[in-house]
Amino acid sequence: MIRFDNVDKVYSSGHHALKNVSFHLKKGEMAFLTGHSGAGKSTLLKLIALLERPSHGNVFINGHSLNTVTRRNIPLVRRDIGIIFQDHRLLTDRPVFDNVALPLVIEGYPHQEIRKRVAAALDKVGLLDKERLLPSMLSGGEQQRVGIARAVVNKPPIILADEPTGNLDPALSMEILRLFEEFNRVDVAVLIATHDLGLIARMRYRTLTLRDGHMINDGLIAEHQL
Amino acid sequence: MSLLFERRAGATDRKLSLGQRIASWWISHMRQATASLGDLWRTPGPSLMTMLVLGFSLSLPAAFYLVSKNGAQVAANWDNPAQISVFLKKNVAINHVEKLVAELQQWPTVNQVDWYSKDDALIEFKETSGFGNALNYLDSNPLPDVLVVEPAAAQQTASAAEALANELRQLDAVAMVKLDIEWLERLNAMVSVVEDTLIALATLLCFSVVLVIGNTIRLSIVSRKTEIEVMKLVGATDQFIQRPFLYAGVWYGVFGAFLSWIVTTLLLWWIESAINTLTQLYDYPIVLEGLQPNESLFLVIIASGMGLLGSWLSVQQHIRAIEPTS
Repeated sequence: MIRFDNVDKVYSSGHHALKNVSFHLKKGEMAFLTGHSGAGKSTLLKLIALLERPSHGNVFINGHSLNTVTRRNIPLVRRDIGIIFQDHRLLTDRPVFDNVALPLVIEGYPHQEIRKRVAAALDKVGLLDKERLLPSMLSGGEQQRVGIARAVVNKPPIILADEPTGNLDPALSMEILRLFEEFNRVDVAVLIATHDLGLIARMRYRTLTLRDGHMINDGLIAEHQL
Repeated sequence: MSLLFERRAGATDRKLSLGQRIASWWISHMRQATASLGDLWRTPGPSLMTMLVLGFSLSLPAAFYLVSKNGAQVAANWDNPAQISVFLKKNVAINHVEKLVAELQQWPTVNQVDWYSKDDALIEFKETSGFGNALNYLDSNPLPDVLVVEPAAAQQTASAAEALANELRQLDAVAMVKLDIEWLERLNAMVSVVEDTLIALATLLCFSVVLVIGNTIRLSIVSRKTEIEVMKLVGATDQFIQRPFLYAGVWYGVFGAFLSWIVTTLLLWWIESAINTLTQLYDYPIVLEGLQPNESLFLVIIASGMGLLGSWLSVQQHIRAIEPTS
Protein backbone atom coordinates (compact mmCIF):
# COMPACT_ATOMS: atom_id res chain seq x y z
CA MET A 1 0.00 0.00 0.00
CA ILE A 2 2.76 2.45 1.01
CA ARG A 3 6.23 1.72 -0.34
CA PHE A 4 9.38 3.79 0.15
CA ASP A 5 12.17 3.08 -2.33
CA ASN A 6 15.59 4.46 -1.35
CA VAL A 7 14.11 7.76 -0.29
CA ASP A 8 16.33 10.70 0.63
CA LYS A 9 15.09 14.02 1.86
CA VAL A 10 17.36 17.01 2.14
CA TYR A 11 15.70 20.29 3.16
CA SER A 12 16.75 23.52 1.54
CA SER A 13 18.36 24.42 4.86
CA GLY A 14 20.78 21.52 4.25
CA HIS A 15 19.24 19.30 6.92
CA HIS A 16 19.41 15.70 5.74
CA ALA A 17 16.18 14.37 7.27
CA LEU A 18 15.85 10.95 5.62
CA LYS A 19 18.71 8.82 4.34
CA ASN A 20 18.05 5.98 1.93
CA VAL A 21 14.82 4.83 3.59
CA SER A 22 13.03 1.79 2.18
CA PHE A 23 10.05 -0.09 3.57
CA HIS A 24 6.72 -1.48 2.48
CA LEU A 25 3.51 -1.19 4.46
CA LYS A 26 0.98 -3.63 3.05
CA LYS A 27 -2.72 -3.21 2.56
CA GLY A 28 -4.52 -3.46 5.89
CA GLU A 29 -1.32 -3.42 7.86
CA MET A 30 -0.85 -1.39 11.04
CA ALA A 31 2.58 -0.19 12.12
CA PHE A 32 4.28 2.23 14.49
CA LEU A 33 6.90 4.68 13.36
CA THR A 34 9.24 5.61 16.13
CA GLY A 35 12.51 7.33 16.88
CA HIS A 36 13.77 10.28 18.89
CA SER A 37 12.56 13.73 17.95
CA GLY A 38 14.28 14.99 14.82
CA ALA A 39 14.90 11.45 13.58
CA GLY A 40 12.71 12.02 10.54
CA LYS A 41 9.30 10.68 11.60
CA SER A 42 7.41 13.80 10.61
CA THR A 43 9.33 14.10 7.35
CA LEU A 44 8.39 10.54 6.46
CA LEU A 45 4.70 11.24 7.05
CA LYS A 46 4.93 14.51 5.11
CA LEU A 47 6.31 12.66 2.10
CA ILE A 48 3.29 10.33 2.09
CA ALA A 49 0.81 13.22 2.37
CA LEU A 50 2.74 15.18 -0.28
CA LEU A 51 3.46 18.00 2.13
CA GLU A 52 7.05 17.51 0.99
CA ARG A 53 8.67 15.89 -2.03
CA PRO A 54 11.59 13.43 -1.77
CA SER A 55 15.00 14.72 -2.88
CA HIS A 56 15.82 11.30 -4.19
CA GLY A 57 14.01 7.98 -4.52
CA ASN A 58 10.37 7.15 -4.87
CA VAL A 59 7.30 6.90 -2.66
CA PHE A 60 4.56 4.63 -3.99
CA ILE A 61 0.95 4.45 -2.87
CA ASN A 62 -0.98 1.51 -4.25
CA GLY A 63 1.72 1.12 -6.92
CA HIS A 64 1.53 4.74 -8.12
CA SER A 65 4.66 6.83 -7.78
CA LEU A 66 3.94 10.07 -5.97
CA ASN A 67 6.71 11.73 -8.01
CA THR A 68 4.35 11.70 -10.97
CA VAL A 69 1.55 13.49 -9.09
CA THR A 70 1.28 17.09 -10.28
CA ARG A 71 0.63 19.97 -7.93
CA ARG A 72 -2.93 20.16 -9.20
CA ASN A 73 -3.61 16.56 -8.21
CA ILE A 74 -2.13 16.71 -4.71
CA PRO A 75 -5.59 17.36 -3.14
CA LEU A 76 -6.90 14.17 -4.76
CA VAL A 77 -4.11 12.13 -3.15
CA ARG A 78 -4.80 13.69 0.25
CA ARG A 79 -8.44 12.63 0.01
CA ASP A 80 -7.26 9.02 0.09
CA ILE A 81 -5.27 9.59 3.26
CA GLY A 82 -6.78 10.34 6.65
CA ILE A 83 -4.27 12.37 8.64
CA ILE A 84 -4.41 12.85 12.40
CA PHE A 85 -2.28 15.57 13.95
CA GLN A 86 -0.87 15.96 17.41
CA ASP A 87 -2.25 19.49 17.61
CA HIS A 88 -5.62 18.30 16.17
CA ARG A 89 -5.73 20.98 13.46
CA LEU A 90 -9.42 21.67 13.98
CA LEU A 91 -11.28 24.75 12.80
CA THR A 92 -11.75 26.47 16.14
CA ASP A 93 -14.65 28.68 15.05
CA ARG A 94 -16.76 25.83 13.67
CA PRO A 95 -18.72 23.25 15.61
CA VAL A 96 -17.64 19.64 15.80
CA PHE A 97 -20.09 18.62 13.09
CA ASP A 98 -18.65 21.09 10.54
CA ASN A 99 -15.12 19.97 11.34
CA VAL A 100 -15.88 16.33 10.73
CA ALA A 101 -17.96 17.12 7.65
CA LEU A 102 -15.17 19.14 5.99
CA PRO A 103 -13.64 16.33 3.86
CA LEU A 104 -17.12 15.37 2.61
CA VAL A 105 -18.07 18.96 1.82
CA ILE A 106 -14.83 19.30 -0.12
CA GLU A 107 -15.65 16.21 -2.13
CA GLY A 108 -19.14 17.53 -2.83
CA TYR A 109 -21.26 14.92 -1.08
CA PRO A 110 -24.98 15.65 -0.91
CA HIS A 111 -26.34 17.00 2.34
CA GLN A 112 -28.16 13.88 3.56
CA GLU A 113 -25.13 11.71 2.88
CA ILE A 114 -22.94 14.13 4.86
CA ARG A 115 -25.31 14.00 7.86
CA LYS A 116 -25.35 10.22 7.79
CA ARG A 117 -21.60 9.75 7.48
CA VAL A 118 -20.67 12.40 10.05
CA ALA A 119 -23.09 10.86 12.52
CA ALA A 120 -21.52 7.43 11.91
CA ALA A 121 -17.98 8.76 12.37
CA LEU A 122 -18.87 10.70 15.52
CA ASP A 123 -20.67 7.66 16.88
CA LYS A 124 -17.56 5.58 16.36
CA VAL A 125 -15.43 7.96 18.43
CA GLY A 126 -18.21 8.39 21.01
CA LEU A 127 -18.91 12.09 20.45
CA LEU A 128 -22.32 11.94 18.82
CA ASP A 129 -23.88 14.09 21.54
CA LYS A 130 -21.25 16.85 21.14
CA GLU A 131 -21.67 17.64 17.45
CA ARG A 132 -22.96 21.16 18.09
CA LEU A 133 -20.14 22.16 20.46
CA LEU A 134 -17.08 24.16 19.47
CA PRO A 135 -13.74 22.33 19.73
CA SER A 136 -12.63 24.69 22.52
CA MET A 137 -15.44 23.32 24.73
CA LEU A 138 -13.97 19.82 24.51
CA SER A 139 -11.14 18.16 26.43
CA GLY A 140 -7.82 17.34 24.73
CA GLY A 141 -8.77 13.70 24.29
CA GLU A 142 -12.15 14.64 22.83
CA GLN A 143 -10.54 17.08 20.40
CA GLN A 144 -8.17 14.34 19.31
CA ARG A 145 -11.17 12.08 18.69
CA VAL A 146 -12.83 14.79 16.59
CA GLY A 147 -9.63 14.83 14.51
CA ILE A 148 -9.86 11.06 14.15
CA ALA A 149 -13.51 11.23 13.11
CA ARG A 150 -12.58 13.79 10.46
CA ALA A 151 -9.74 11.57 9.20
CA VAL A 152 -11.96 8.51 8.78
CA VAL A 153 -15.24 10.11 7.73
CA ASN A 154 -14.66 9.51 4.01
CA LYS A 155 -13.33 5.98 4.65
CA PRO A 156 -9.79 6.44 3.31
CA PRO A 157 -7.66 3.33 2.65
CA ILE A 158 -4.73 4.90 4.53
CA ILE A 159 -4.59 6.57 7.94
CA LEU A 160 -1.54 8.48 9.13
CA ALA A 161 -1.27 9.65 12.70
CA ASP A 162 1.42 12.02 13.97
CA GLU A 163 1.83 11.64 17.73
CA PRO A 164 -1.90 11.04 18.23
CA THR A 165 -1.45 10.30 21.91
CA GLY A 166 1.10 13.03 22.56
CA ASN A 167 -0.75 14.92 25.26
CA LEU A 168 -2.99 12.17 26.60
CA ASP A 169 -2.77 10.01 29.68
CA PRO A 170 -2.17 6.26 29.22
CA ALA A 171 -5.83 5.29 29.56
CA LEU A 172 -6.94 7.78 26.89
CA SER A 173 -3.99 6.79 24.68
CA MET A 174 -5.06 3.20 24.85
CA GLU A 175 -8.63 4.16 23.96
CA ILE A 176 -7.41 5.96 20.86
CA LEU A 177 -5.17 3.09 19.85
CA ARG A 178 -8.15 0.76 20.12
CA LEU A 179 -9.94 3.00 17.64
CA PHE A 180 -7.08 2.63 15.19
CA GLU A 181 -7.21 -1.13 15.62
CA GLU A 182 -10.88 -1.02 14.72
CA PHE A 183 -10.19 0.81 11.46
CA ASN A 184 -7.30 -1.52 10.77
CA ARG A 185 -9.68 -4.46 11.02
CA VAL A 186 -11.59 -3.16 7.96
CA ASP A 187 -8.43 -3.32 5.82
CA VAL A 188 -7.22 0.23 6.37
CA ALA A 189 -3.45 0.69 6.42
CA VAL A 190 -2.49 2.59 9.58
CA LEU A 191 0.87 4.22 10.27
CA ILE A 192 1.28 5.83 13.68
CA ALA A 193 4.27 8.02 14.46
CA THR A 194 4.91 8.07 18.19
CA HIS A 195 7.66 8.13 20.79
CA ASP A 196 5.41 6.55 23.38
CA LEU A 197 7.50 3.38 23.72
CA GLY A 198 5.35 1.91 26.46
CA LEU A 199 2.38 2.03 24.13
CA ILE A 200 4.30 0.34 21.33
CA ALA A 201 5.43 -2.41 23.66
CA ARG A 202 1.92 -3.11 24.83
CA MET A 203 0.41 -3.21 21.35
CA ARG A 204 2.99 -5.43 19.66
CA TYR A 205 2.63 -4.26 16.10
CA ARG A 206 5.30 -3.91 13.44
CA THR A 207 7.57 -1.01 14.37
CA LEU A 208 9.66 1.08 12.03
CA THR A 209 12.46 2.84 13.88
CA LEU A 210 14.30 5.88 12.56
CA ARG A 211 17.58 7.23 13.88
CA ASP A 212 19.17 10.31 12.29
CA GLY A 213 17.26 9.68 9.11
CA HIS A 214 18.23 6.01 8.78
CA MET A 215 15.71 3.22 9.12
CA ILE A 216 17.47 1.11 11.72
CA ASN A 217 14.77 -1.38 12.59
CA ASP A 218 11.81 -2.76 10.68
CA GLY A 219 9.78 -5.27 12.56
CA LEU A 220 8.65 -6.27 15.97
CA ILE A 221 11.03 -5.11 18.63
CA ALA A 222 11.26 -6.48 22.09
CA GLU A 223 10.95 -4.14 25.03
CA HIS A 224 14.50 -4.64 26.27
CA GLN A 225 15.97 -3.39 23.00
CA LEU A 226 14.41 0.03 23.36
CA MET B 1 -12.68 10.56 -7.90
CA SER B 2 -9.69 8.79 -6.55
CA LEU B 3 -6.37 9.19 -8.30
CA LEU B 4 -4.57 6.26 -6.72
CA PHE B 5 -7.35 3.78 -6.02
CA GLU B 6 -9.31 2.71 -9.07
CA ARG B 7 -12.30 1.18 -7.35
CA ARG B 8 -12.64 3.65 -4.52
CA ALA B 9 -15.84 5.62 -4.95
CA GLY B 10 -15.91 9.27 -4.04
CA ALA B 11 -18.96 11.47 -4.21
CA THR B 12 -18.33 12.38 -7.82
CA ASP B 13 -18.21 8.76 -8.98
CA ARG B 14 -21.74 7.86 -8.07
CA LYS B 15 -24.14 7.50 -10.94
CA LEU B 16 -25.90 10.82 -11.34
CA SER B 17 -27.99 12.06 -14.20
CA LEU B 18 -26.90 15.28 -15.90
CA GLY B 19 -29.83 17.09 -14.27
CA GLN B 20 -28.81 15.92 -10.81
CA ARG B 21 -25.23 16.96 -11.47
CA ILE B 22 -26.25 20.46 -12.54
CA ALA B 23 -28.61 20.70 -9.59
CA SER B 24 -25.93 19.66 -7.11
CA TRP B 25 -23.39 22.04 -8.70
CA TRP B 26 -25.93 24.83 -8.43
CA ILE B 27 -26.84 23.99 -4.85
CA SER B 28 -23.19 23.86 -3.82
CA HIS B 29 -22.53 27.27 -5.39
CA MET B 30 -25.62 28.78 -3.77
CA ARG B 31 -24.51 27.34 -0.45
CA GLN B 32 -21.06 28.87 -0.77
CA ALA B 33 -22.48 32.21 -1.89
CA THR B 34 -24.73 32.39 1.17
CA ALA B 35 -21.92 31.14 3.39
CA SER B 36 -19.62 33.91 2.25
CA LEU B 37 -22.40 36.42 2.79
CA GLY B 38 -22.65 35.05 6.31
CA ASP B 39 -18.89 35.52 6.76
CA LEU B 40 -19.23 39.19 5.79
CA TRP B 41 -22.10 39.52 8.26
CA ARG B 42 -19.96 38.06 11.04
CA THR B 43 -17.21 40.66 10.55
CA PRO B 44 -19.40 43.75 10.02
CA GLY B 45 -16.71 46.32 10.89
CA PRO B 46 -14.13 45.76 8.14
CA SER B 47 -16.80 44.66 5.63
CA LEU B 48 -18.78 47.83 6.15
CA MET B 49 -15.68 50.00 5.78
CA THR B 50 -14.83 48.34 2.48
CA MET B 51 -18.39 48.68 1.24
CA LEU B 52 -18.44 52.38 2.14
CA VAL B 53 -15.18 52.96 0.27
CA LEU B 54 -16.63 51.13 -2.74
CA GLY B 55 -19.93 52.95 -2.48
CA PHE B 56 -18.30 56.40 -2.51
CA SER B 57 -15.79 55.45 -5.20
CA LEU B 58 -18.53 54.10 -7.45
CA SER B 59 -20.90 57.00 -6.85
CA LEU B 60 -18.48 59.39 -8.52
CA PRO B 61 -18.50 57.60 -11.91
CA ALA B 62 -22.26 57.10 -11.52
CA ALA B 63 -22.77 60.80 -10.84
CA PHE B 64 -20.55 61.70 -13.83
CA TYR B 65 -22.68 59.47 -15.93
CA LEU B 66 -25.88 61.14 -14.75
CA VAL B 67 -24.44 64.61 -15.41
CA SER B 68 -23.46 63.73 -18.96
CA LYS B 69 -26.77 61.95 -19.57
CA ASN B 70 -28.81 64.92 -18.39
CA GLY B 71 -26.49 67.27 -20.24
CA ALA B 72 -27.09 65.40 -23.47
CA GLN B 73 -30.82 65.57 -22.87
CA VAL B 74 -30.73 69.32 -22.37
CA ALA B 75 -28.67 69.73 -25.57
CA ALA B 76 -31.18 67.61 -27.48
CA ASN B 77 -34.00 69.88 -26.34
CA TRP B 78 -32.32 72.87 -27.91
CA ASP B 79 -32.84 73.82 -31.52
CA ASN B 80 -31.87 71.44 -34.19
CA PRO B 81 -28.12 71.98 -34.45
CA ALA B 82 -28.15 72.12 -38.26
CA GLN B 83 -30.82 74.76 -38.74
CA ILE B 84 -29.93 77.43 -41.28
CA SER B 85 -31.33 80.92 -40.85
CA VAL B 86 -31.77 82.71 -44.16
CA PHE B 87 -32.23 86.50 -43.86
CA LEU B 88 -33.87 87.95 -46.96
CA LYS B 89 -33.22 91.35 -48.46
CA LYS B 90 -35.65 94.01 -47.17
CA ASN B 91 -37.18 94.93 -50.52
CA VAL B 92 -38.34 91.45 -51.43
CA ALA B 93 -42.07 91.32 -52.05
CA ILE B 94 -44.33 88.93 -50.19
CA ASN B 95 -45.40 86.99 -53.27
CA HIS B 96 -41.73 86.57 -54.19
CA VAL B 97 -41.00 85.20 -50.73
CA GLU B 98 -43.91 82.78 -51.10
CA LYS B 99 -42.46 81.55 -54.41
CA LEU B 100 -39.01 81.20 -52.87
CA VAL B 101 -40.36 79.15 -49.98
CA ALA B 102 -42.23 76.89 -52.39
CA GLU B 103 -39.09 76.51 -54.50
CA LEU B 104 -36.86 75.67 -51.56
CA GLN B 105 -39.35 73.03 -50.40
CA GLN B 106 -38.67 71.23 -53.68
CA TRP B 107 -34.92 71.00 -53.11
CA PRO B 108 -33.89 67.41 -52.28
CA THR B 109 -31.39 68.71 -49.73
CA VAL B 110 -34.08 70.56 -47.80
CA ASN B 111 -36.42 68.94 -45.39
CA GLN B 112 -38.54 71.86 -44.27
CA VAL B 113 -38.72 75.61 -44.62
CA ASP B 114 -40.37 77.83 -42.00
CA TRP B 115 -41.10 81.40 -42.90
CA TYR B 116 -41.07 84.03 -40.20
CA SER B 117 -42.51 87.10 -41.87
CA LYS B 118 -41.11 90.49 -40.94
CA ASP B 119 -44.53 91.73 -39.78
CA ASP B 120 -45.01 88.84 -37.41
CA ALA B 121 -41.49 89.28 -36.15
CA LEU B 122 -42.07 92.94 -35.41
CA ILE B 123 -45.25 92.20 -33.46
CA GLU B 124 -43.47 89.55 -31.44
CA PHE B 125 -40.53 91.85 -30.86
CA LYS B 126 -42.85 94.59 -29.62
CA GLU B 127 -44.49 92.22 -27.20
CA THR B 128 -41.40 90.63 -25.75
CA SER B 129 -38.71 93.29 -25.88
CA GLY B 130 -40.40 95.93 -23.79
CA PHE B 131 -39.65 98.59 -26.42
CA GLY B 132 -43.32 98.44 -27.56
CA ASN B 133 -44.11 102.15 -27.73
CA ALA B 134 -40.70 103.21 -28.92
CA LEU B 135 -41.03 100.90 -31.89
CA ASN B 136 -44.22 102.67 -32.97
CA TYR B 137 -42.09 105.67 -33.93
CA LEU B 138 -40.26 103.73 -36.59
CA ASP B 139 -41.14 104.67 -40.17
CA SER B 140 -40.77 101.24 -41.54
CA ASN B 141 -40.24 97.73 -40.29
CA PRO B 142 -36.45 97.30 -39.81
CA LEU B 143 -36.70 93.52 -39.58
CA PRO B 144 -36.15 91.24 -42.57
CA ASP B 145 -38.12 88.17 -43.54
CA VAL B 146 -36.43 85.09 -42.20
CA LEU B 147 -36.59 81.58 -43.58
CA VAL B 148 -35.49 78.82 -41.26
CA VAL B 149 -34.28 75.98 -43.43
CA GLU B 150 -33.93 72.54 -41.97
CA PRO B 151 -31.66 70.38 -44.11
CA ALA B 152 -32.73 66.86 -45.12
CA ALA B 153 -31.55 64.07 -42.86
CA ALA B 154 -28.59 63.27 -45.12
CA GLN B 155 -27.38 66.89 -44.95
CA GLN B 156 -27.27 67.12 -41.16
CA THR B 157 -23.49 66.88 -40.93
CA ALA B 158 -21.59 70.11 -40.49
CA SER B 159 -19.94 70.02 -43.94
CA ALA B 160 -23.14 69.16 -45.83
CA ALA B 161 -25.05 71.88 -43.98
CA GLU B 162 -22.26 74.30 -44.83
CA ALA B 163 -22.55 73.37 -48.53
CA LEU B 164 -26.30 73.94 -48.43
CA ALA B 165 -25.75 77.30 -46.74
CA ASN B 166 -23.38 78.29 -49.57
CA GLU B 167 -26.00 77.36 -52.15
CA LEU B 168 -28.56 79.49 -50.34
CA ARG B 169 -26.11 82.43 -50.32
CA GLN B 170 -26.12 82.37 -54.15
CA LEU B 171 -29.85 83.23 -54.27
CA ASP B 172 -30.71 86.83 -55.32
CA ALA B 173 -33.23 87.49 -52.59
CA VAL B 174 -30.89 86.42 -49.80
CA ALA B 175 -29.06 89.02 -47.78
CA MET B 176 -27.34 86.77 -45.22
CA VAL B 177 -27.19 83.12 -44.31
CA LYS B 178 -26.35 82.03 -40.82
CA LEU B 179 -25.53 78.49 -39.95
CA ASP B 180 -26.41 77.82 -36.30
CA ILE B 181 -23.88 75.05 -36.07
CA GLU B 182 -20.64 76.76 -35.11
CA TRP B 183 -21.38 77.62 -31.54
CA LEU B 184 -22.86 74.15 -31.04
CA GLU B 185 -19.71 72.61 -32.43
CA ARG B 186 -17.69 74.57 -29.93
CA LEU B 187 -20.02 73.55 -27.14
CA ASN B 188 -19.83 69.91 -28.23
CA ALA B 189 -16.05 70.07 -28.30
CA MET B 190 -16.00 71.46 -24.79
CA VAL B 191 -18.49 68.89 -23.59
CA SER B 192 -16.43 66.10 -25.09
CA VAL B 193 -13.27 67.38 -23.36
CA VAL B 194 -15.14 67.37 -20.06
CA GLU B 195 -16.55 63.93 -20.81
CA ASP B 196 -13.13 62.51 -21.67
CA THR B 197 -11.75 63.86 -18.42
CA LEU B 198 -14.62 62.34 -16.49
CA ILE B 199 -14.17 58.99 -18.24
CA ALA B 200 -10.47 59.00 -17.36
CA LEU B 201 -11.30 59.82 -13.74
CA ALA B 202 -13.99 57.16 -13.63
CA THR B 203 -11.56 54.58 -15.03
CA LEU B 204 -9.01 55.46 -12.36
CA LEU B 205 -11.68 55.16 -9.68
CA CYS B 206 -12.70 51.75 -11.03
CA PHE B 207 -9.08 50.63 -10.84
CA SER B 208 -8.94 51.75 -7.23
CA VAL B 209 -12.16 49.84 -6.54
CA VAL B 210 -10.56 46.67 -7.92
CA LEU B 211 -7.46 47.24 -5.79
CA VAL B 212 -9.45 48.00 -2.64
CA ILE B 213 -11.43 44.78 -3.04
CA GLY B 214 -8.25 42.84 -3.81
CA ASN B 215 -6.63 44.15 -0.67
CA THR B 216 -9.65 43.42 1.52
CA ILE B 217 -9.76 39.86 0.20
CA ARG B 218 -6.01 39.53 0.81
CA LEU B 219 -6.49 40.52 4.45
CA SER B 220 -9.31 38.06 4.86
CA ILE B 221 -7.20 35.28 3.29
CA VAL B 222 -4.33 36.06 5.65
CA SER B 223 -6.64 36.07 8.67
CA ARG B 224 -7.95 32.64 7.68
CA LYS B 225 -4.54 31.12 6.93
CA THR B 226 -4.90 28.34 9.51
CA GLU B 227 -8.30 27.38 8.18
CA ILE B 228 -6.98 27.29 4.62
CA GLU B 229 -4.08 25.08 5.72
CA VAL B 230 -6.48 22.65 7.36
CA MET B 231 -8.64 22.56 4.24
CA LYS B 232 -5.61 21.85 2.07
CA LEU B 233 -4.55 19.09 4.46
CA VAL B 234 -7.85 17.28 4.06
CA GLY B 235 -7.75 17.51 0.28
CA ALA B 236 -9.38 20.77 -0.77
CA THR B 237 -8.37 22.08 -4.17
CA ASP B 238 -7.35 25.72 -4.61
CA GLN B 239 -10.54 26.21 -6.63
CA PHE B 240 -12.68 25.02 -3.73
CA ILE B 241 -10.86 27.21 -1.22
CA GLN B 242 -10.97 30.33 -3.37
CA ARG B 243 -14.67 30.16 -4.18
CA PRO B 244 -15.98 31.79 -0.97
CA PHE B 245 -13.43 34.59 -1.40
CA LEU B 246 -14.55 35.17 -4.98
CA TYR B 247 -18.14 35.31 -3.79
CA ALA B 248 -17.13 37.77 -1.07
CA GLY B 249 -15.63 39.99 -3.78
CA VAL B 250 -18.87 39.85 -5.74
CA TRP B 251 -20.87 40.68 -2.60
CA TYR B 252 -18.63 43.66 -1.90
CA GLY B 253 -19.33 44.85 -5.44
CA VAL B 254 -23.09 44.38 -5.08
CA PHE B 255 -23.30 46.21 -1.76
CA GLY B 256 -20.93 48.89 -3.02
CA ALA B 257 -23.20 49.43 -6.03
CA PHE B 258 -26.25 49.61 -3.77
CA LEU B 259 -24.59 52.22 -1.57
CA SER B 260 -23.45 54.25 -4.56
CA TRP B 261 -27.00 54.14 -5.90
CA ILE B 262 -28.22 55.67 -2.65
CA VAL B 263 -25.44 58.27 -2.67
CA THR B 264 -26.12 59.33 -6.28
CA THR B 265 -29.85 59.53 -5.65
CA LEU B 266 -29.25 61.81 -2.67
CA LEU B 267 -26.75 63.82 -4.69
CA LEU B 268 -29.20 64.22 -7.53
CA TRP B 269 -31.96 65.29 -5.18
CA TRP B 270 -29.66 67.91 -3.67
CA ILE B 271 -28.46 69.23 -7.04
CA GLU B 272 -32.00 69.32 -8.38
CA SER B 273 -33.08 71.91 -5.85
CA ALA B 274 -30.11 74.08 -6.84
CA ILE B 275 -30.83 73.64 -10.55
CA ASN B 276 -34.49 74.49 -10.09
CA THR B 277 -33.57 77.99 -8.96
CA LEU B 278 -31.31 78.33 -11.98
CA THR B 279 -33.84 77.06 -14.49
CA GLN B 280 -36.53 79.32 -13.09
CA LEU B 281 -34.28 82.26 -13.89
CA TYR B 282 -33.87 81.01 -17.45
CA ASP B 283 -37.53 80.09 -17.78
CA TYR B 284 -36.46 76.71 -19.04
CA PRO B 285 -37.66 73.76 -16.97
CA ILE B 286 -35.12 70.95 -16.63
CA VAL B 287 -36.14 67.72 -14.99
CA LEU B 288 -33.09 65.72 -13.87
CA GLU B 289 -33.35 62.06 -14.61
CA GLY B 290 -31.94 59.57 -12.09
CA LEU B 291 -30.62 56.08 -12.72
CA GLN B 292 -33.19 53.98 -14.57
CA PRO B 293 -33.76 50.33 -13.53
CA ASN B 294 -31.63 49.02 -16.40
CA GLU B 295 -28.86 51.48 -15.61
CA SER B 296 -28.98 50.48 -11.93
CA LEU B 297 -28.70 46.86 -12.98
CA PHE B 298 -25.73 47.76 -15.15
CA LEU B 299 -24.12 49.49 -12.16
CA VAL B 300 -24.59 46.35 -10.05
CA ILE B 301 -23.20 44.10 -12.78
CA ILE B 302 -20.16 46.31 -13.38
CA ALA B 303 -19.49 46.63 -9.65
CA SER B 304 -19.81 42.91 -8.97
CA GLY B 305 -17.60 42.26 -12.01
CA MET B 306 -14.95 44.52 -10.53
CA GLY B 307 -15.39 42.77 -7.19
CA LEU B 308 -14.85 39.44 -8.87
CA LEU B 309 -11.77 40.74 -10.69
CA GLY B 310 -10.26 42.20 -7.52
CA SER B 311 -10.81 39.09 -5.47
CA TRP B 312 -9.63 36.87 -8.33
CA LEU B 313 -6.34 38.76 -8.58
CA SER B 314 -5.87 38.47 -4.84
CA VAL B 315 -6.89 34.83 -4.62
CA GLN B 316 -4.58 33.78 -7.47
CA GLN B 317 -1.65 35.22 -5.62
CA HIS B 318 -2.30 34.37 -2.00
CA ILE B 319 -4.19 31.09 -1.78
CA ARG B 320 -1.58 29.29 -3.82
CA ALA B 321 1.12 30.65 -1.57
CA ILE B 322 -0.36 29.07 1.58
CA GLU B 323 1.06 25.60 2.00
CA PRO B 324 0.25 23.49 5.02
CA THR B 325 3.04 22.43 7.34
CA SER B 326 2.46 19.74 9.87
